[in-house]
Amino acid sequence: MALSRRQFLQISGATAAGWAMASVCPNWGLLRAAEQAGATARIVPTYCEMCFWKCGVLAKVIDGTVVKLEGNPVHPHCRGRLCGRGNGGIGLLYDPDRLKAPLIRTGERGDGKYREASWEEALAYVADKMQVIAAKYGPESLALFTHGSGTSHFYPLMRAFGTENVAMPSFAQCRGPRVAAYDLTTGIDIGSPERLDMPNSKVVVLLGSHLGENMHSSQVQDFTQAIDNGATIIVVDPRFSTAAGKADHWLPIRPGTDMALILAWIHLVLKNGWYDKDYVERYTTGFEDIRDSFDAYTPEWAAAETDLRPDVIRETGRIIARNAPAVALHPGRHVTWDGNDVQRERAIIILQALLGTWGRKGGIFLPSPAKLPPLPGGKAFPKPKRKPLNRGDFPFAGGEGVTNAVRASTLSGEPYPIKGWFVSGTNLLATLPNPEETRQAIRNLDLLVAVDVMPTDTVVHADVILPECTYLERHDAIAQLRGRELALAIRQPAVEPLYNTKPAWWIARSLANKLGLGDYFPWEHYAEKLEEDCLVWDVDFEELKQKGVIVFPGSAAPYITATNPPRFKTESGKLQLYSEELELEDFAPVPEYVQNPQPKNGEFRLIYGRSPVHTFSRTVNNPVLTELFAENEVWLNAGVAEEMGLKSGALVRLVNQDDVLSDPVRVKVTERIRTDCVYLVHGFGAKSKRLNRAFGRGVSDQDLITRYAVDPIAGTTGMRVNFVKIRKEA
Amino acid sequence: MPRYAMVIDERRCIGCMACIAACKAENEVPPGSFRTRVRETVEGKFPYLRMEIRSELCNHCDNPPCVYNCPTQASYKDEETGMVLLAKEKCVGCKACVAACPYDARYVNHEKGVVDKCTFCSHRVAKGETTACVTTCVGGSRVFGDLDDPKSLVSQLLALHPAETLLASAGTEPRVFYIRRSGKPK
Amino acid sequence: MEVTVTGINALAFPHIHVWDWRVALYLFLGGLSAGLAVMAAVLHLYRNGDLTYKEGSSWIAPLLVPVVLGIGMLFIFLDLENKLNVFRFYMTVQILSPMSWGSWGLLAFFPLSALFALGALPERHYGWLKLTFLKTLARNMNRQLQCLAILNLLMGVFIGIYTGVLLSSFVARPLWNSSILPILFLLSALSAGAALMIIVARSLQAKLFFTKLDVILIAAEMTVLPLFFYGQYTSSAAHRMSILPFFTFTHEYLWYGAAIILIGVVFPFALVLKMIELRPGHVSEITRGVIFRMHLSATLVLIGSAVVRFAFVYAGQLSSFS
Ligand SMILES: Nc1nc2c(c(=O)[nH]1)N[C@H]1C(S)=C(S)[C@@H](COP(=O)(O)OP(=O)(O)OC[C@H]3O[C@@H](n4cnc5c(=O)[nH]c(N)nc54)[C@H](O)[C@@H]3O)O[C@H]1N2
Ligand SMILES: Nc1nc2c(c(=O)[nH]1)N[C@H]1C(S)=C(S)[C@@H](COP(=O)(O)OP(=O)(O)OC[C@H]3O[C@@H](n4cnc5c(=O)[nH]c(N)nc54)[C@H](O)[C@@H]3O)O[C@H]1N2
Ligand code: SF4
Ligand code: SF4
Ligand code: SF4
Ligand code: SF4
Ligand code: SF4
Ligand SMILES: [Mo]
Repeated sequence: MALSRRQFLQISGATAAGWAMASVCPNWGLLRAAEQAGATARIVPTYCEMCFWKCGVLAKVIDGTVVKLEGNPVHPHCRGRLCGRGNGGIGLLYDPDRLKAPLIRTGERGDGKYREASWEEALAYVADKMQVIAAKYGPESLALFTHGSGTSHFYPLMRAFGTENVAMPSFAQCRGPRVAAYDLTTGIDIGSPERLDMPNSKVVVLLGSHLGENMHSSQVQDFTQAIDNGATIIVVDPRFSTAAGKADHWLPIRPGTDMALILAWIHLVLKNGWYDKDYVERYTTGFEDIRDSFDAYTPEWAAAETDLRPDVIRETGRIIARNAPAVALHPGRHVTWDGNDVQRERAIIILQALLGTWGRKGGIFLPSPAKLPPLPGGKAFPKPKRKPLNRGDFPFAGGEGVTNAVRASTLSGEPYPIKGWFVSGTNLLATLPNPEETRQAIRNLDLLVAVDVMPTDTVVHADVILPECTYLERHDAIAQLRGRELALAIRQPAVEPLYNTKPAWWIARSLANKLGLGDYFPWEHYAEKLEEDCLVWDVDFEELKQKGVIVFPGSAAPYITATNPPRFKTESGKLQLYSEELELEDFAPVPEYVQNPQPKNGEFRLIYGRSPVHTFSRTVNNPVLTELFAENEVWLNAGVAEEMGLKSGALVRLVNQDDVLSDPVRVKVTERIRTDCVYLVHGFGAKSKRLNRAFGRGVSDQDLITRYAVDPIAGTTGMRVNFVKIRKEA
Repeated sequence: MPRYAMVIDERRCIGCMACIAACKAENEVPPGSFRTRVRETVEGKFPYLRMEIRSELCNHCDNPPCVYNCPTQASYKDEETGMVLLAKEKCVGCKACVAACPYDARYVNHEKGVVDKCTFCSHRVAKGETTACVTTCVGGSRVFGDLDDPKSLVSQLLALHPAETLLASAGTEPRVFYIRRSGKPK
Repeated sequence: MEVTVTGINALAFPHIHVWDWRVALYLFLGGLSAGLAVMAAVLHLYRNGDLTYKEGSSWIAPLLVPVVLGIGMLFIFLDLENKLNVFRFYMTVQILSPMSWGSWGLLAFFPLSALFALGALPERHYGWLKLTFLKTLARNMNRQLQCLAILNLLMGVFIGIYTGVLLSSFVARPLWNSSILPILFLLSALSAGAALMIIVARSLQAKLFFTKLDVILIAAEMTVLPLFFYGQYTSSAAHRMSILPFFTFTHEYLWYGAAIILIGVVFPFALVLKMIELRPGHVSEITRGVIFRMHLSATLVLIGSAVVRFAFVYAGQLSSFS
């Protein structure tokens, strides 16, 4: 018995120890001594960029070394608590594999051969190539892919240059369907942080959303508070996620069928008259048009689709309805699943509306109505001659652009060719589905520029690599946080840039100068701009620098009251249950069920998610975080594994429906997943040899995602539509 | 005299490992060594599963075998605070304390030739702060405080919920308490 | 059950490994020197030292004690992470720490055994003692030989027990945490001491005398060993599990299975050999064959005793409470 127990034992940490680097900080061990010897620490407030939640950080600096990062207690996104990755920011700062100087490619794209160059040379090279492209194809032939804080610097650069072709993966590979659905239905986004009032909820419903593994500090804090409060937790996930482990009801749904469950819940709510009649009356339109649309979606029908028991569907539906409006029905964040995602999100919003949760305690609270005076516009951007192609042909694509549309145009040359990519803060080869398409597109380019901190897979394809210093070494735009209250937070350097690296603002401004666009960056140092912004906002810049965050007191108005009605920004000013806008574009005005293909015998649907200590591919080389989670494993149902004669730790390869074969990966044999899918933590399997710790560790889910289902409404890419077989490694 | 203790509310532990990362940075714990860990246990068969997640650390035992087994008094129970601490300058690195601890809470810092472990962040507590792991605990699972102060959060939690200690049968009388289920009626 | 632990110390993975062969060797040599001290003392005390007459071992054995002990102590010293701090052992007495009494005990035992060795040194070898004061000391000690023998006997028993108590004091390691362990270690120390005595002794009487003693000690050890396992088996789950490595005979625990088989073969075989020597009238004169058999059986006992220490030091670290 003891022996079999041992076989199931998994240890992280000790196993990683063998190859974890000797030390992270340059003068490891001396720091505490320095402190004891009377050296005082300097505390620099800033905000985190280990993910996009922007938690407030207090960086502790001794002798020019960042020794510790702590949460800023007054920052609303973390309330003093940084997650593992936030704590591990030091590992990024002191990662010896960081980009350290500008590099110019000497070999073929992708073979990783570079020579060091001066900033002057590198920037001149880029500016020159940009101008050549503009002359030959027009400035619109340059596209920007960006994610994170670099956007506020490179976006104006691109606009000034004359292109609007900007795209961020945060839309088409992430929240896009949700953004589009809220836009169509309420006219107001649910925000980031999602404005879920979990600490006051009686019921929390998670569809996928694997909170805990999906680690956004304040949101996870709210979730555990809900657990502590005794809220009923309902988790719908084909995998026994951490959140499912906390749930009162875990619904191990057949992947790709969530729509059926939501429709059945709506069916129950309508059928049983459980909806909030007064709320529906007051704040919504189209109720009469939708009320009969859900008749067919009975729990019995949904049970057959979802592989859940009808009584479970009924019971959870009843719990949700009976506790309304104090129900936090999470719309999800990464919601690009199967290509019918906008409609699924719409269905969730309709359910939220019927239960009257928008603007109600325990449901979805209202954003702070406080407004900041607008910043002066600066010099107007030129109007591009050609229509931007970054929204493809998708009528409801959002302002963050559709990455895959830009990629498609780069491949096809239609409606006009894209010849230059400027890539900042996104690892396209790990991020966009079907990386082969990305590689092909890159082959069509005359110029690929990467602004990054690490030599990731995409970066080592670039013609010119511009090394940004990390978030702990630079200024960035002031973050405007609009949660319950309005708040502002500053990013400022804790230490001077290590190596020959520069902040994005400096890179953008220097390039602008080279391109004769200096007027768009009318300041010497970005700190000047921050100070000016503060003047406009009537905020004390010194106070902001010192505290890191300024929260505007009394700026919250979270719930609907007589004097605080919800202000839906739709045409009708109401929450639109029935969507005429969709109807006009020939889409279903009321969500309908569309059946997704299911895996054949011997196949598994490939699903993926997060490790709490990693952010996508950006942390896989981080010495602090790899010590906690070194590589991903493929989760396989224990019963299936037994049939296949596979034990935990065995090496296998995955082959997808298009015969793409993965690198070897270890199996995690577990009861925690259904028999019809396998699960990978996203972000691993780096191919860049310059990432010494990450190279060849684990596998890339993306390599196996050769198919993706584009949502015709918003252009977003459903990525859970691939099926794999498992091949044993000899 | 404060009687420091930690209460770990397992219901709130979300297995995020922030505590481990914070502890390692705060205490300059060498690679491959840890002062705290997170244990996740899943029992049952699909789809009838139960999960338990909790963080573990030195229990600052009131009956500490590590202290008893230390030949040099390097390991000691601090009279003032009840913390089990190390006078590193006295440590010979015989590792008797490591073998003696039923919780595998100790490690050897080979570089410095001493044994080390969780100190309840005594250096922070002395400054009136709380421990690094508690400070960052995203789930709000870890709580540190004074058992003798009835107003402290630890006392309040222990008053409200049934709590257990790890390996109680080892007789070590831990000062780290675990809450597994709510004492409040649902 | 699926258990995932993040943040296990390398030192505790996949189980603790704080002590290695250095400590096992120390325990073996410490035990051996203790056993040898006891046996040397017995030689001197038995019938007022009758057996010491023309018996080389009467001084060689006492001389070997500090030598073997010194080598043993060298290995525990080598195991210390912070060797410069070794003096810290002697800045305090920790009643509850066997390591503490061990270090103090060794501090007493080492000079005591050295004095015994000096006292037992025949005058014809005084030439080896380069310093006159040593010669004087040797002469003085020689007068106190009986007394020294008694002290060495007591100290030997103490150290012999201590090597077992050191391990048995760890509640955390169920395999070690048995009150039978000190007895087992004492018996194994004594039997090893007697075995070494057989090897160094010249006279037939002395050899036969210690063979007899060894028979009793090995028999006792062979009784205590199964009792130990029985005790563990019938105790808590952790205790029962702790002896698993010895009896699973799987690839993972190959060495432990081998050790238990070795012990199971070596001791009985040595015992049988000894019984043969002890048959009345069997040995009338010492032939090469007889000496070979006696030394073989003694060597086997020494090996068995070493195997016991090594097996226990390593297997104990596989066992844990949780
Ligand atoms: N630690 C960490 N946290 C992060 C991030 C990170 O990189 N690291 N990234 C952040 C970002 S930008 C985002 S968008 C979010 C994404 O995080 P989420 O919005 O939570 O992403 P999901 O895809 O909903 O969640 C993945 C979960 O969905 C389950 N799943 C797979 N298929 C299905 C299905 O068909 N139905 C249902 N119901 N569940 C399914 C998987 O088993 C897995 O548990 O995480 C954020 N938080
Ligand atoms: N298969 C699959 N694909 C996915 C997902 C998935 O779960 N599975 N998740 C999707 C989601 S939800 C999202 S939001 C996207 C995320 O997509 P990305 O934002 O592209 O995610 P990362 O892989 O973290 O790549 C971030 C890049 O930014 C770099 N970087 C980090 N810090 C800085 C900095 O300070 N400055 C600069 N200039 N660069 C920096 C990193 O080194 C890395 O190259 O991926 C999407 N794609
Ligand atoms: S959630 Fe974690 S990684 Fe993301 S911003 Fe906050 S501390 Fe940083
Ligand atoms: S947990 Fe271990 S190290 Fe900590 S006091 Fe108890 S016995 Fe000592
Ligand atoms: S290793 Fe150090 S602290 Fe531990 S028992 Fe030995 S001397 Fe004491
Ligand atoms: S109290 Fe301090 S030393 Fe102990 S585990 Fe927490 S952070 Fe680490
Ligand atoms: S930080 Fe808190 S919630 Fe996260 S793993 Fe540690 S104890 Fe659990
Ligand atoms: Mo995302």
